[in-house]
Amino acid sequence: MSRGSLAIVCALAGVAAAEAPAQPTTPAPSNPGLIERSRLEVQPGGRAIHQLSIENPLGDVKIEGYDGTSIQIESRKQAPDEEALDRLRISLVPNPDGTVRITTTADGGKEFKTLGRSQVRIDLLIRAPRDARITAALSAGSLEVNNMDAGGDLGTSSGPISVRNVSGGVSTHSVSGATSITQVFGSVDAQTISANLDLDTIGGERLIASANRGQIAGRRVRARDVELTTVTGKIFLEAETSLRGRLVVSSLRGDVDVKLRRQGAISIRARGSKVNLGSAAANAKTQQDGWIYSQLGQVNGTSAPALIELRSRYGLVQFAIIE
Amino acid sequence: MSCEDVRPRLTGYLDGELDADRGSVVRGHLRECAACRQVATDEAALRDGLRQLPHVDPPPSLWAGVQARLAEAEVADARRPAWRRALTRWLPSAPRFAAGTLVAATAVGVLWWRSQRGPDGDVATQPEPTAIATAPTTPRMSQTHVVVASDRGEPDVTADLAGEAGRVTASYGDAAEELLALAGEVRGQWTEEQRTAFDARVAELRGTIASAADGHPRQRAWRDLIRYLQNAVVRDEIAFAGGGQ
Repeated sequence: MSRGSLAIVCALAGVAAAEAPAQPTTPAPSNPGLIERSRLEVQPGGRAIHQLSIENPLGDVKIEGYDGTSIQIESRKQAPDEEALDRLRISLVPNPDGTVRITTTADGGKEFKTLGRSQVRIDLLIRAPRDARITAALSAGSLEVNNMDAGGDLGTSSGPISVRNVSGGVSTHSVSGATSITQVFGSVDAQTISANLDLDTIGGERLIASANRGQIAGRRVRARDVELTTVTGKIFLEAETSLRGRLVVSSLRGDVDVKLRRQGAISIRARGSKVNLGSAAANAKTQQDGWIYSQLGQVNGTSAPALIELRSRYGLVQFAIIE
Repeated sequence: MSCEDVRPRLTGYLDGELDADRGSVVRGHLRECAACRQVATDEAALRDGLRQLPHVDPPPSLWAGVQARLAEAEVADARRPAWRRALTRWLPSAPRFAAGTLVAATAVGVLWWRSQRGPDGDVATQPEPTAIATAPTTPRMSQTHVVVASDRGEPDVTADLAGEAGRVTASYGDAAEELLALAGEVRGQWTEEQRTAFDARVAELRGTIASAADGHPRQRAWRDLIRYLQNAVVRDEIAFAGGGQ
């Protein structure tokens, strides 16, 4: 058996577990019908589990990191009747190389009566070893990842994404799901098309975030290299600069509002329909190309200043130093 | 069953939509009737051929053209006086409004007439207007609501899941086309060199999208194009995608 190096401990297939999985955050089917709960544990075989891939287009996924070595899965299936419940499948593929893949789907076929997608759901609550990297793809369900140490690649089409207390590189992308990233210590790349991005306590090397029609709000951002871009949404950022850091905040139509806790010298350039540089305005100079330049703090030969670039073609640009 | 009865059912038969009994009758007729069998064979061949046609994506200029025409219409609309805009909005619905008014007036008339009649048809001395409408209509309305809710025409979950990746990809495609239209607005401020570099990079990223596998790889390629377009449109960062790497 090629996949035998990972032992699967089935502690269940049961109904009505005493500890219920997380309640679904997206609307439940209007007719609750039948609910089946089950638990499963995947023990590592020869090699520790280092990657977990999840595809669940039918509901929510919540992943919690913990200090153990196995993956514990609590599932909750919901369907209007027995036949519909039987169509809902959770497939688990543990590979010998230490990767585990979980996918959900609904069986099809002409023998089944038509079953609307809004009538069924599968929610998963997963406890995974902290050092496993997470790859997850959802549809309209909410995706939540907490307390992990190896980052992940997380995507939804319209469901919200929440990442909290995660180390390692994190990449998130959603068409219209609001994204919240909190306490991430690693590079972050977040992208939405028409949803807001909320960033709080980001301490990695790089932070790149963009939204077409959403806003971006960042607080306690300490990444060395920051790029925030929107087309129509506002951007609010409260950040801390580091030496030789770079911070580029740009919008086409949205206002840009940046508050900075300064460490060392900073060099600012800004351009917008209206620019207010606060205390940096005292020594500001406007160039012919429309950019306003300013510098705060002394630059010596050994330390280059942090570079700040703020722009909004049609919006306001505001800048302030937090003393 | 005659040929005239079978022919209209052939499409349903080929789609597997007939119930077992009717399907069996059509199958039996096809075994005996060469003419109908030929019609069925031709239709099946036509459908197979249609299925094998390549999928054609609309050119990017199409959306830009649609947007340009919409913008022209908006400008023309904005230039007209307010009273003409209001009249233009109201005129198309005028016939419906008139019909609705007529129906409402008739209903009020009937209710008034009924309220004036006693149980034996005479004009009542003490009308009971509230009992007429509310009591019987309430359950009927809730019944209607239930029928609508369960008969939404939602596709089967399996088919819906199969189309999921395509829908997400299409959303990214729409966002990219929107950004391309915006790029069209700002590219006048770029140098000739920037415009050439932009076009070349967009073509390269589109090539990556076209060659990417369906699903997540193609969506990732669209996201790369979107990032590049955002940087170009918002920051005039033309040459490189992903923030100047």
